[in-house]
Amino acid sequence: MKVESNGVLSEGARRVWRYQRILWWMFAVNALLALFGVRPGAEQFGSVLNYSQHAERLSNSFDVFAFLELIAKPEIQLGSVNGGAVCFAVVFFFFSLFLTGGILEGYRAGRKLRTAEFFHACGVFFWRWVRLTLSLVVCLIPIMFLASMLFGWSADLSENAAPETLGFWVLLVGALLIVGLSMAIRLWFDMAQVHTVAYNEQAIRSSLRHALRTTRQNFASLFWMYFRISFVSWLILAIALCVWSRMPGRMFGWSALMLEVVVLAWFAARLWQRASETVWCERWEVAQATQLSPARPTAVPSPSASVSPTAG
Amino acid sequence: MARHFGRLTRLAIVGVACAMQAFAQTPAPDGSGLPAGANVLRATLSQTALSERVVEYEIDARYNADKKSLDATETLTYHNLTGQPLDTFPFHLYLNAFQPTSTFMREVRLDKPSFEWQEKYRASATVKSLEVVGMGDLTSQMRFVAPDDGNPEDRTVFEVKLPRAIAPGESVKFRIVFHDQFGEVYARTGYKRDFIMGAQWFPKIGVWWQGKWNCHQFHATTEFFADFGTFDVKLTLPQNEIVGASGVETGNVKNSDGTKTLTFHGEDIHDFAWTAEPQYRVYEGDFVGSLGHTKIRLLMQPGHARQAERHMRVMKETMARFDRWYGPYPYPQITVVDPPHGGSEAGGMEYPMLITGDTTWWLPDGIRLVELVVEHEFGHQYWYGMVATNEFEDAWLDEGINSYTECKVLDDIFGKDKSALDLWGITGGDDGLQRDTYLSATDRDPLTRPAYEYLNYASYGDVTYGKSATVLLTLEKVIGEETLQRALRAYFLKYRFKHPTSEDFLKTVEEVSGQDLRWFYDQAVYGTRLLDYEILRANSDVTDWDRSSKSELDARRELFQTSVVVHRKGDFVFPVDVQVQFENGETATEHWDGKDRWHRFSYLKNTRILSAQVDPAYAIPLDKDFYNNSVLKPGDHAARNKLTHYWIVFVQFLSQLLAWLT
Repeated sequence: MKVESNGVLSEGARRVWRYQRILWWMFAVNALLALFGVRPGAEQFGSVLNYSQHAERLSNSFDVFAFLELIAKPEIQLGSVNGGAVCFAVVFFFFSLFLTGGILEGYRAGRKLRTAEFFHACGVFFWRWVRLTLSLVVCLIPIMFLASMLFGWSADLSENAAPETLGFWVLLVGALLIVGLSMAIRLWFDMAQVHTVAYNEQAIRSSLRHALRTTRQNFASLFWMYFRISFVSWLILAIALCVWSRMPGRMFGWSALMLEVVVLAWFAARLWQRASETVWCERWEVAQATQLSPARPTAVPSPSASVSPTAG
Repeated sequence: MARHFGRLTRLAIVGVACAMQAFAQTPAPDGSGLPAGANVLRATLSQTALSERVVEYEIDARYNADKKSLDATETLTYHNLTGQPLDTFPFHLYLNAFQPTSTFMREVRLDKPSFEWQEKYRASATVKSLEVVGMGDLTSQMRFVAPDDGNPEDRTVFEVKLPRAIAPGESVKFRIVFHDQFGEVYARTGYKRDFIMGAQWFPKIGVWWQGKWNCHQFHATTEFFADFGTFDVKLTLPQNEIVGASGVETGNVKNSDGTKTLTFHGEDIHDFAWTAEPQYRVYEGDFVGSLGHTKIRLLMQPGHARQAERHMRVMKETMARFDRWYGPYPYPQITVVDPPHGGSEAGGMEYPMLITGDTTWWLPDGIRLVELVVEHEFGHQYWYGMVATNEFEDAWLDEGINSYTECKVLDDIFGKDKSALDLWGITGGDDGLQRDTYLSATDRDPLTRPAYEYLNYASYGDVTYGKSATVLLTLEKVIGEETLQRALRAYFLKYRFKHPTSEDFLKTVEEVSGQDLRWFYDQAVYGTRLLDYEILRANSDVTDWDRSSKSELDARRELFQTSVVVHRKGDFVFPVDVQVQFENGETATEHWDGKDRWHRFSYLKNTRILSAQVDPAYAIPLDKDFYNNSVLKPGDHAARNKLTHYWIVFVQFLSQLLAWLT
């Protein structure tokens, strides 16, 4: 069965744009949590830097040894401060997990959901996402094991193989494979989420089975779609880092703005992936229905029906 | 022959320089460090040795590249210039350090409990026979000794007692047959795949120094000490091997069994190292210094070929500065060896006329590791190679002075703030690198502690390299940078080809600067005091604070009482400058002898304080905390904001990464 993939990305982008309130909210909450996360550290930095002329070595340029001297000071407790930052990252993780239902429902509806509808969808799917995420982690454990083996192998090759770059190439190729594999698994779980929302599927295993079948049958077009968006986000990051490295140290206001734009772009890219997957799924369902009954297409499940406030 | 003759001539010029030093301290206008008129004597004194040649080594060695082993016969002629009869002679056998029960390995394990012994590291040097010409075979008289720790299982030093003493002025000839088995390189010497670094590979006699034999065991934290002399080494090895060695190659004969025999000759050097590997790519360059041409020979790994230019450039730039600032390099050649990956434990080492670098294939230009290592190791040709200090007992004299001159040279080449790192807007100067190292071990060990008695390996490294360099950078503040450079030049010219002590160096600095520096030496060199000055308080207050209402005119004429308190937090007393800036642009520069615990500077002005800073030029890098040296009023939040934002972005990306799982 062939899905008309032309225009999937542009339709996905259109939905992200149309429903950009999600993007801004995610970005704002992320920034706010990060701000809270680094606040104790910022205060510690401030207590040393704000009234010291030596701080110019960090503001006018970035002298690595001035920085090392700073973090070696007893006033700076990097361990505890980093712990706080990680905590806020975990909070954001749950926030994202919670929003996913509403986001997918919104993209499926192709319109702005009312606040009640949105949060209702968030609530309806939350525990399913928890179960799906646990399944994802289980699937990723062998990948992590593989990655750790790869690191060990490439380190050994770097040390002992006659061609010096062999370890590096093994690492690079292996890392690309692992990234590709991780992306494929993520894509499978994305499709499971889209399927769960589309059919209000309660059974996670059934969603995963269905998504696996769909993803396997259409892997090339789906992965190409997913990869292109990821590539755009990496490209944006690379360009930004390139520009950032050339900006004068004192222009950190501009560099800060630019890095925030990159963060925003990354959020947009992830949402774009989700919206595109939703669009693709819709077309897949239509194609499926057409194939089953060319004269009388099967009704596609109504998104609003699946998660209307009364439909719990 | 022509090259050999030219070399002797050039060496002779330096010999003349040494001899004339006593008569004339004025350097020649050409900057060679030679007394004016020295060239006149070149022809007549062409055979003059540069050093007091105590030893003459002749070694005929055959290297088995498959077994990584070597069989050799060493003939050592030792000239007894000690002024007293000698009947006991100690020798180093340092390859035996690479055995699990050696003092070296025990110290490694003590310092790093996670270290596990592996058989591939095992190496050994076995003396098959030892004969003293005219006294017969004395192999049975050999016994291993452990002068430093009494470890009966350490076999890095042996001594032999002769049936009769060697009278002062007399010579004794040892003929030693020995077998080396190299291990995979763990520290400095050994093999990695086809690469071999032959260092500390032959029985090397100790040094009669300060009225007794000085022949230490091989320790985890120590390097080497030996007498000057001549080396004639024949090395037979497979024909496909590309070889580098101390000295200069004087012969190359191909043998019918697929091997070749290379002959090397070195004069006025105190050690001999060699390396071989079939894959080396050879690059040659020429440095023209005040004594003429020096050949630079790079032996690069094929994968590092594109970094050959970096190596060559820093070699030439370094040699030019050493020649100009401290004195001439008298040898006709210097070989730079680039060890293969996995063999970097052989990297970053110095031997007479041969140094090893350390790099990797991906290293960007902005990370100046190549330059740091190559410059540093070349610097050792002066501070170890020629000024041959005792690396066991005065490690700071070679590593510390060398790290200081490394800062000076690299700062001059790349700029002060970018001499160690300049990549993607992130910068770092070599003096910052040295200071950062010093900050890791500010008060653990004094500079003058014997290397094998340091708290641990980290403290040895931090103090002998980082702290020593930082001490000398701080000394610049006391006597001036230019004076310290002159002092180093005088020290080099006076003590090259000798074995000076810490006091010799310190006294030279005092003589050149004309200052009594004991107050500084006692605290910085012999002591472990901490140097830390801070601005404890800096504020301005209106003088008529008790008046409740003021006219506009009164407000304009308002007087402020400004008070700046400088506090000596550490116990290191050092005179400091204090700079106070006011809101109206006025600046007051004060000087405080730093002796009391604190000192208050007071001002009565119709302006408020803007900032106060102790050591505004950052000229006292021994100060362990630069951040508390100043107070800004009002504050400047730029640095905090910058760091905070970068951190926020980091946390944002971390969050996104985690959220990717949802």
